Amino acid sequence: MGKLVDVIDVSKIYNPGENEVRALDHVNLSIDTGEFVAIIGQSGSGKSTLMNMLGCLDTPTSGTYMLHGMDVSHMTDNEQSDVRNREIGFIFQGFNLIQSLTAQENVELPLIYRGVPKKERQELAVTALQRVGLGKRMDHRPTEMSGGQQQRVAIARAIAQAPPILLADEPTGNLDSGSSREIIEIIKNLHKEGRTVILITHDPGIAKQAKRIVTISDGRIQSDIINPDADVSGEAYEKNRE
Amino acid sequence: MEYVKSAFASIKENRGRSFLTMLGIIIGIASVITILAIGNGMKSTVGGELNDMQTGGITIVLNGKKTDKHLTGAEVREIGEKIPEAYGASPSVTGFVDLSARHKISANASGGNENVIYSQNKEVVAGRFFNTEEAESGSAVAVLPQACAAMLFGSTRAVGKIFEMTVNGKSMEITVVGLIKSEEKEIEQAYRIANGTEVSSSYPTIYVPYTLLTQSFGSPGENITSFKIFPHPNEQDAASLRTRRVTESLLGLRGQDAVTVQSYASMLETFNKILNVVTLVVAFVAAISLLVGGIGVMNIMTVSVTERTREIGIRKSLGARTSSILLQFLIESALITLIGGFIGMIAGYSLTFIVSKFMSFPPKIRLEDVALVVAISSSIGLFFGIYPALRAAKMNPIEALRYE
Repeated sequence: MGKLVDVIDVSKIYNPGENEVRALDHVNLSIDTGEFVAIIGQSGSGKSTLMNMLGCLDTPTSGTYMLHGMDVSHMTDNEQSDVRNREIGFIFQGFNLIQSLTAQENVELPLIYRGVPKKERQELAVTALQRVGLGKRMDHRPTEMSGGQQQRVAIARAIAQAPPILLADEPTGNLDSGSSREIIEIIKNLHKEGRTVILITHDPGIAKQAKRIVTISDGRIQSDIINPDADVSGEAYEKNRE
Repeated sequence: MEYVKSAFASIKENRGRSFLTMLGIIIGIASVITILAIGNGMKSTVGGELNDMQTGGITIVLNGKKTDKHLTGAEVREIGEKIPEAYGASPSVTGFVDLSARHKISANASGGNENVIYSQNKEVVAGRFFNTEEAESGSAVAVLPQACAAMLFGSTRAVGKIFEMTVNGKSMEITVVGLIKSEEKEIEQAYRIANGTEVSSSYPTIYVPYTLLTQSFGSPGENITSFKIFPHPNEQDAASLRTRRVTESLLGLRGQDAVTVQSYASMLETFNKILNVVTLVVAFVAAISLLVGGIGVMNIMTVSVTERTREIGIRKSLGARTSSILLQFLIESALITLIGGFIGMIAGYSLTFIVSKFMSFPPKIRLEDVALVVAISSSIGLFFGIYPALRAAKMNPIEALRYE
């Protein structure tokens, strides 16, 4: 069986020609089912481009991206939409909830696009919200919730349809330390339950929570190490922050 | 269904702006509805009146600008006898009168001779019509519609009753000799007016010998410049032609164009011409308003798409296809115009209702008009929604997500 994620010699070039920017330069990366990988890099390192690529939001200029055995590097917009819907749960730095919808409606959104019948959809959404500890706030709108709660809604939205990959882009970037810890705990627990988690961050303290750390700079992968200190609790993270 | 729900939510979110966007559509649809309802009401009412006129006789008028000649009652009767296509002729003298019995009302008095019985649907339900003798001698008798009797006496059992009629400042006592049939609805309304629970919007017509009116005007049996003939069915044209010739030769007015025949056909033609012009003007205003309204919808939806760039990015990242986004915004704009259409329809019917109060014809709500409104307004929304919806659907998810 192939890898879950297989990035083969992928490059992404913006503004081809004189002022071209090589955001990704012949990158190779494989991730197995059940891994917890942190991709760490400074801003401008190409980590955002890599995350867009992994999330099927963008297509490579050259190279191949195999996801779940499918070549997704040359798909049409609609095909990419379907792959995102089926395969990937996004957790963004800015939460990216729709302000006019309640927590539950936000969580139901990807299920609507998948065509899940209403009753089943509602059950899945409620289960997911309970899973992140928001069983009592399902009718609240994002503006009525704290940042940590909003991010938990976003996590519920990402896991409601049980996609194979959780793609978290600086999930704690907009949160205070208490909420950050909660969110990291939830993500770690989701990994323990067997989900594949890809965490994109610039913060080494957060990256240390992962079992594998991939460092990227100048569009190239600089190191790819197994993290022996991967901690099951949030303590290491706390220590690091202080 | 989900799209409709979310479109509703977003319209509600921007209530004020949505309403302003709808205004153009509201005005356009309201004017469409008003012209349709008034046009239809007018057609059926005026058409009905013209129909009455057809059965009610052809009016012949001596044009006062071209001749100072006039007829006597006897001459009118003589003309009527010379027209084989008609039952007869009657002078047509009218006056505005005040009536007083148990209640006081104002009415139109239509003065004629006994031949008036041949006009329209004058079914005598009680008593009798006045006779030749009474018509020529200025007898103080009258024939009332049942509704008028109800208003005047508070009862439709009015044969033999006496009321006071004031015309041209002179009062006289008149005996009711007969009643002609009124519609059940009119009678009910007349009772309400008699009770004071409703205000009368039009004047009833009573029928009296023409001599009664000419007497009060000081010229018994003379000075008649307008009369009616009552043609046999389907012989209106021949009857009016012959009447005109007979009258002209009687008065020596041949070739002077002084005798005017107000026939049904000529009035219908005039009426339709006017109605068509009015319809065209309002249709033009409505079309412009709907066009401007549609552009307004396009404008606001484009702004809305820009404002919601991030939402579009989120939806796309969660797996929304191009078609889902397209559909979402199309439904939203169609819903805006559809709601606008319904508000416009209500406004239009209210306007029609108010107008009809002054013009005394009933507004008509027809199912096909409602269907027309739904079709027009939703297709405006769909058409003018295409551009902004396409803009939304074609957004790049990465750029959309980055949008602040």
